[in-house]
Amino acid sequence: MTRSAILLLTAVASIGTASAAPFACPKKGGTMVFGQEANLNSLDQQASNTISTRNVAMNIFEALLTRSEDNQTIGDLADSWTESPDKLTYTFKLRSGVHFHNGKLLTSADVVASFDRYSKVGLERSNLANVDKWDAPDADTFVIHMKQAQPTFLESMSSFSVPIVIFPAEFKDDPALRLHTIGTGPFMLDEFVPGGFVRLKRFDAYSPNTHYEQRSGFGGYKVACLDTVTVRIVTEPGARVAGLQTGELQAVEDVPATNLADLKKNKDITLLPLANWWIQITLPNVQKPPTDNVYFRQAVQAALNMDEIMDAATDGNYKLNVGFQFPGRPGYTDAGKETYNQHDPAKAKALLAKAGYKGEPVTILTNKDYTSMYNAAVVQAEEMKAVGINAEIKVVDWPTSIQMYLRGDTGWNYFHTGWGTQPALGALSTMAFFAPPNASYRPDAGKDDPDVVKLWNDMNNLPDEAGRQDAFVKLQALVLERAYAVPFGSLTKVQAVRSNVKGFVPFRIPRFANVWVE
Amino acid sequence: MIGVVVARLLGAIPTLLLVSLITFAILHLIPGDPAVVMAGLSATPQDVAQIRSDLGLDQPLLGQLVHWYAGLLHGNLGRSLLLGQDVLEAILQRLPVTLSLSLYGLVLTLLIGVAGGVLAALKQNTIVDQAAMIGAMIGISMPSFFFAPLMVLVFAVHFGWLPSGGYVNFIDSPLGWLRAATLPAVSLALLQVGLLARITRSTMLEVLRQDYVRTARAKGLSGMSVVGKHALANAMIPITTVVGIAISLLLSGSVVIETIFSVPGIGQLLTQAVLNRDYPLVQGGLLVLTTVLVLVNIAVDVAYAAMDPRVRLGG
Repeated sequence: MTRSAILLLTAVASIGTASAAPFACPKKGGTMVFGQEANLNSLDQQASNTISTRNVAMNIFEALLTRSEDNQTIGDLADSWTESPDKLTYTFKLRSGVHFHNGKLLTSADVVASFDRYSKVGLERSNLANVDKWDAPDADTFVIHMKQAQPTFLESMSSFSVPIVIFPAEFKDDPALRLHTIGTGPFMLDEFVPGGFVRLKRFDAYSPNTHYEQRSGFGGYKVACLDTVTVRIVTEPGARVAGLQTGELQAVEDVPATNLADLKKNKDITLLPLANWWIQITLPNVQKPPTDNVYFRQAVQAALNMDEIMDAATDGNYKLNVGFQFPGRPGYTDAGKETYNQHDPAKAKALLAKAGYKGEPVTILTNKDYTSMYNAAVVQAEEMKAVGINAEIKVVDWPTSIQMYLRGDTGWNYFHTGWGTQPALGALSTMAFFAPPNASYRPDAGKDDPDVVKLWNDMNNLPDEAGRQDAFVKLQALVLERAYAVPFGSLTKVQAVRSNVKGFVPFRIPRFANVWVE
Repeated sequence: MIGVVVARLLGAIPTLLLVSLITFAILHLIPGDPAVVMAGLSATPQDVAQIRSDLGLDQPLLGQLVHWYAGLLHGNLGRSLLLGQDVLEAILQRLPVTLSLSLYGLVLTLLIGVAGGVLAALKQNTIVDQAAMIGAMIGISMPSFFFAPLMVLVFAVHFGWLPSGGYVNFIDSPLGWLRAATLPAVSLALLQVGLLARITRSTMLEVLRQDYVRTARAKGLSGMSVVGKHALANAMIPITTVVGIAISLLLSGSVVIETIFSVPGIGQLLTQAVLNRDYPLVQGGLLVLTTVLVLVNIAVDVAYAAMDPRVRLGG
């Protein structure tokens, strides 16, 4: 047997002997009502990539691997895992004694069924493109065989964008968006009134991951302290604030900036800023003049004052941020910082002259569904006009906006959006926007940028992590230097809880485990 | 009468088919691809193509339309693209919520609107009349998206009398339903109350000047009898017309009110469906709503005939 067990660094780091006492609920029981901003279309975590689905389903379902508090790959239902030296085989040992919400014991047959279904209806099933097959040699073991080595495979598998959550094998034929809501998580579904609320209740037979003492990211040692958690759909920001003030809601996401000053004075409410919710960004259309010209794009980059743009976009809830990761994250780099927040009109005008710009109209595509995108576009347009660019704004609704964006021939030059989930997943997910086969990828004048493609391939295929990180640093610098994207900064989203809610730590998705009410 | 009602119902079928055809055309004319919405910006073209294929969106438009009408003949409105649920099932889950709110709003409209209008007419050119008409004007002028949050601020946040949002099923808790539905129903009814009060006042003023009212008074009938039996009964035709319009407005107004008060009704469902380009859900939802409105119109016609023998349905 050529396979040598190599315990991955992350596994070594995360699976240690518990030295301290694991988390115990200071108070057990009670209920919490969480005000969610977006409607929930389905609880099928394999077939929906919406945040609203994750908000609920990530507390119900679990996957083999997930991400820790600092975004490292960690085990959740996987007790341990090994990678063969040729990176063609991954062997996972399952945690023992894990039960589904229907009382059934988890076995590798359930994992096989879950992967089978994901390969048919999973929204990001292209993540399994390099996988040849999977099998289950025994009840506790699951093996993935690769067609070709993919050094970043475990990172991709631990993605929480559309995770490969594990469900009982008998539901393997459930159609897309209609998966039975039976997982292994600390909470189980009690009632779902579409458009109204989802009520979860504690899963008493939940067995926490004893490799940890505390909750970490979406994994770790999870305990349901609350009897029930009701996620109520409250799309109107004012209604969320009112519900929080009256105590009908104990926690809410996305408090409007205009209410922050008032809520700060309320001793019954604790504000919880969630920094780096997304990167506010605009993307040029490199297939349409004048943004097909690198000097023109650099001129726009030079003209912009990111403080002004982010202030208008977020009502002051932002951080200036270079590039596509955030300080404190494993992959963060400020490479390309010289291109950021220049606010240099003289340089911009010189670059415009170099680009041969003759006053052609430049269309900024934005929408009002996301106020931050609209406000950012308005300020960008004004700053471009200030250096002599004939900027105009085109406002459509969000679905129209993304469809126009994905087709380069729809008359726009800059597209406004926010990148949230991908930067949260890491550099690899984020930089995928700039490379094939991403749907957003639009090569310059119909030709690939060979430098971008090479660095992207290095990010994916270099065998060691240091080499892949170095490729990311270079790719970020290159993308910023050639102005393939103009990131403005990171938006802070403010969540809030009633002051008697304890243990609620803002994260990409609200976690209801290890939260209690005093 | 029954034959005429059946004829009216059959006559409504072309209207419904036309509405569904227009809805289909508009939905597919406006840009926005549900597959792209579902896949997100980080998807690969293969992911998007696969979703389009899964949803049947890669079929020719005519084929999609024929398929939808074929399903309709079997009572199948299709499957929601985003909910993965039968459209009819999704609508029937939410329709009672919207109807109960609209009904509550209609009761408030009738009680306050008719009473206010009658009172204003009886007390014409007094302070009561002026106060009622100022109130009616405010109701007509104030947009519900402003009035509703104001009500929340006052009655939920400041006084804490009523919940700020959410919905309770009447069957689960009638009192809970009443508490949860009051602010949305009042917000919904505001415009209709103003409208009905003004119409009722002007109609009543006209009727009160008629000879038969003077005769009734001369015969020594009590004021209540004159107003209730003779005047109001004769003012009911235009009032019924307005009530028919009010029901339409209550149903369409639910789109805004359900969003503000987080009520899981059909208005909120359709808003989300449009924003996500969920074609079958929008088509099915609008068809059901149109059917309800057609039925309301037929009911109003029937009510005319019942109230005024001079009106002939068949004519």
